[in-house]
Order: sequence, then structure tokens, then C-alpha cells
Amino acid sequence: MTRVRAAAVVVALVLSVPALDAYIKLGTRVGANLVPIRWTAFPIRYFVTNRDVAGVTAPQLQQAVASAFATWDAVPDVSIPSQFVGFTGTAPLSGDGMTVIGFQNRPDLDRVLGSTSFTIDTVTGEVLESDIFLNSLFSWSVAAGGEAGGQDVESIALHELGHLLGLGHSALGETELFGGGRRVLGAEAVMFPIAFAAGNLNRAPRADDIAGLSDVYGGDQFRSSTGSITGRVTKNGGGVLGAHVIAFNPATGKMIGGFSLSADGTFTIGGLEQGLHVVRAEPLDDGEVGSFVDPTQPVDLDFKPAVYSRLVTVPRGGTAPGIEVKVTPK
Amino acid sequence: MKLWFALIALLAMSDRAVAQSRFEIGAGAVWTGGFDAGGLDALETRNPSTGTSPLTLFGTSSDVRPAIGATARAGLFVTPHVEIEGLAEYSRSTLRTAILDDFEEATGTEAANTIVTFVFGGSVLYHFGSGRFVPFVSAGAGYVRQLDEDETISVTGTEVHGGGGIRYRLSRHLSLRADAGVSSRDKAIAFEEKRRVLPVFAAGITYRF
Repeated sequence: MTRVRAAAVVVALVLSVPALDAYIKLGTRVGANLVPIRWTAFPIRYFVTNRDVAGVTAPQLQQAVASAFATWDAVPDVSIPSQFVGFTGTAPLSGDGMTVIGFQNRPDLDRVLGSTSFTIDTVTGEVLESDIFLNSLFSWSVAAGGEAGGQDVESIALHELGHLLGLGHSALGETELFGGGRRVLGAEAVMFPIAFAAGNLNRAPRADDIAGLSDVYGGDQFRSSTGSITGRVTKNGGGVLGAHVIAFNPATGKMIGGFSLSADGTFTIGGLEQGLHVVRAEPLDDGEVGSFVDPTQPVDLDFKPAVYSRLVTVPRGGTAPGIEVKVTPK
Repeated sequence: MKLWFALIALLAMSDRAVAQSRFEIGAGAVWTGGFDAGGLDALETRNPSTGTSPLTLFGTSSDVRPAIGATARAGLFVTPHVEIEGLAEYSRSTLRTAILDDFEEATGTEAANTIVTFVFGGSVLYHFGSGRFVPFVSAGAGYVRQLDEDETISVTGTEVHGGGGIRYRLSRHLSLRADAGVSSRDKAIAFEEKRRVLPVFAAGITYRF
């Protein structure tokens, strides 16, 4: 999975896998089933390339990566320990048995800040190896408060490590066309595919990120303390494929998203706190469709965003009765 | 004219009829005022290069509409003027969230859920006089339980209430009763937890044994 500085063509160096129901997890198809990809052997042992780039030394990169790992590991009720093994001259490439994180100069990917690739067990979904490269074509910074013109290493590492841990992209963000591409106006997930402009920080996972990670690695505590909403997005009586559905809790301000990933428009949003939620469906029009879901599918973008007429009650440890969010063509 | 005198005499006899029971029951309708339910807007972290304030995906404005329901009471006059009573109340209202200023002009401007409220409590009443019209004041406390329409969320809290009213005696046993007052409740199904003071009006009929 890649993170782009501005839209345009996303060049994927990674295993292309569809997202699963219930958020933004990555998965692999095993027969007729989708299996989430995840690490099962801990700590996650990783190397950092020994290559400096302008403004960032290899030890500084390692510190930023360690900090980003620690941020994900600090998600409540999740344990994903990691271990820095050492510096290496090996490039972050798949298939060498080493998880390597480092800079690479990729002028061919002039809109890609970073990318994550995997080697997985295609039967179990277990991640065997994952590599992250940050594109040294861009200017980078490790300044605590950010640095004008420099992409924040920790912010981008946090996003890429989210992929490494099994998260796909979140669609909780708004963009505008700008300078021949797309520019982020706002985002409520570090897993949104388009980064904030250089010089800005984005180092804190939001509710959507936390729900996604907890769904992959959380235990009984997470499942018993949170609930989910299921339903269908429909247009003219038929299902809508590829709708982004948001559950918003007005009591906490937390937003968590999901996608309708089947032809009948079925969606699931999990990791929700008990309580009343506003549900809103929208088309995937704030980025490349392929950043979120399988672009070969007939994703429907021709509908107006819509708010469901009921406040949906999410039970603790359970699922709200199925709802139907009706949308209309644009 | 004779009939008129006869009616006056009957009512007078009724007035003089003493040895009424100390027990009373009643039932009626109750109206409880609505309130601001609080709540936050749906905000996204702004890309600092495009502005300073958070990006509002959509705003919200939530309120609980006035509730209409039924109430039942049972009272005991411990003196000719002082009564203690227990009450049970059931009402339904709507928690409504208006969607404001959607960033993408989403269709649908409101989301709602039905709230059912039960109140169980007690009051002390002091009655002024003993004629046909009897004003009174009352104060008490109770237990409040609310459920959403799916009975998934329940909130249990306490309330204290105070007010007054008037009785109009129809006969030896029957009276009309109207109450007005306020109820202060510490919890409610809403998006902001705080004590709220709600106006309460009730009207009904009582039967004194």
C-alpha cells in the first residue's frame, strides 16, 4: 500500500489485496474466503537501513520508527510488541526474509511518499515479512514540531506501519482538486491515503485507526466492550457497492468508517462504543477508488451522501439491528 | 327550583359527609418538558496548510422533545392537610439530532430515536383548606429509568421534584387534580451528562375511598 503526496496514479509495489468487511483491514483471498492478514509471531523484528538522507540520519529514522511502533502498541487492549534488530545495508525489498524499513530513492514514484509490501502465508494470512520504503526523492524531517518543507518521518512511518500491521486505507477525509491532483482539507484517520502537506505532523491514531487495529489484534475485552452496526446501502432498491459509511457518536465526537463491499450493499462498522450514532453514507470520491477497495469491482460513485433517519443504538458487545441507508443518484 | 335545592342539599350533605378514608388513588396524563441534549459536531483534523480550525464534516444540534405520558398515584392522608403519596409515570419522547451544514450537502437533515421514561417516586403534599377547590404544594424524589427504542441503552438516575396544584372536588370520592412543577434529573439518554431541570404538568382524577 502506498501513501501519495497528492493524487494521480498510485503505483503499487505491494501485494494487491481487497479490504475486508468491517473497516479497513487488509486481507488475502483463500478460496472463497477473505482472510485478514496479521502478524502472529511477536515481537515484530525489524531492521532499519543504514542509509542517511538529507536532514535524517539512520539513527534518527530508527528513533522515529520506534516511536511510531510504540504509538500503535499503545492502543488499549492491543499488544503488538516490536524489536529493532539492527541497521542493515539491505534495501527494503520483499522476499529476503527480513523486515526492513528505510529510505529508497524512487524518482519514478514522484507522488509516493512511502510504500509497504508484504510476504504472507496465503493460507493463514500470517505476515512473514513486511518492508517499508520512504521515498528519498522528497525532503524529510524528524523535527519534534515539524519543519517547513519536510515530510515528517514519524507521521508517514505511522501510516506505513499501520499497513504493516494489516490496516488498509481509511476514507475518513475530505479533499479538493488542487494543482493537478488532490489536496487534503481534513482527515480523521492516520490511515487516510493522502498525507498532510510537508511541514505538518499527523502522529496520533484516531478512533477509526484504533478500531481497525483493535479489530485485527484486539482480544475479548475489545469485542465485549464495543459493538457494531450492520446494514445495506441501497439506491433505487438495489445495493450500492463501494459506499463509505460513517458512524458518528455525538457524545464523544468519534467517527469510525466502513465500506459496503458486496453487490447487495452490505456493510459493517465495528469497534463502536455503546450509544447512539448518526450514520452517514457517501461515495468514495476523495481519492483514487483503488486506494480503498478493489478498483476492478463496479464501485458506484453516482449517489449523493445521505444521513440515515434514525439514531442507531449500538449495544455493548453486540450488533445493532440491520438498517437500510437509502441514497439517491446525483 | 326544587331540583336545584335538592342538588344543593345533596352537595351540602356530601360536604358534611365525614369519615372519608385516608386512602386515595389517582391517574392522569403528564407532560414533561424537553431539553437540549448536547452533542458534538463531526470534525476532522484540518490539514494545517488549508486552515486552522477543524474541518466540520457536519454539525449537530440535538434535543429531547417534550414527553407525554400517563401517571398513577396512591396517597395516604396522615393528617387532614398532609398527604404522602407514591407515583409511577410512563412517558415517551423523541431524541432528535438535526444535521447541520454537511460538508457535502448530504440528504437527510435529521436522525431520531424514541426514548421511553419510567419514574417511580414519592411526594409529600400539603393541602390548604378543605373546600371544593383545594390548592396544595408538593415535593418529593424518585427514580428515573430511560430506555431507547431498541431497549439497548438504559439509563438509571434520580430525580427530585417540587411544585403545586389544585384539586376540584366533584363528589365525596372523586376529584380533579392538576399539578405543575419542576423535576430535577441527574441522568438522561442524551449526548451530554448533566443535571437538568424540567417543567412537569399533570392532570387527572383521584378517588378517595
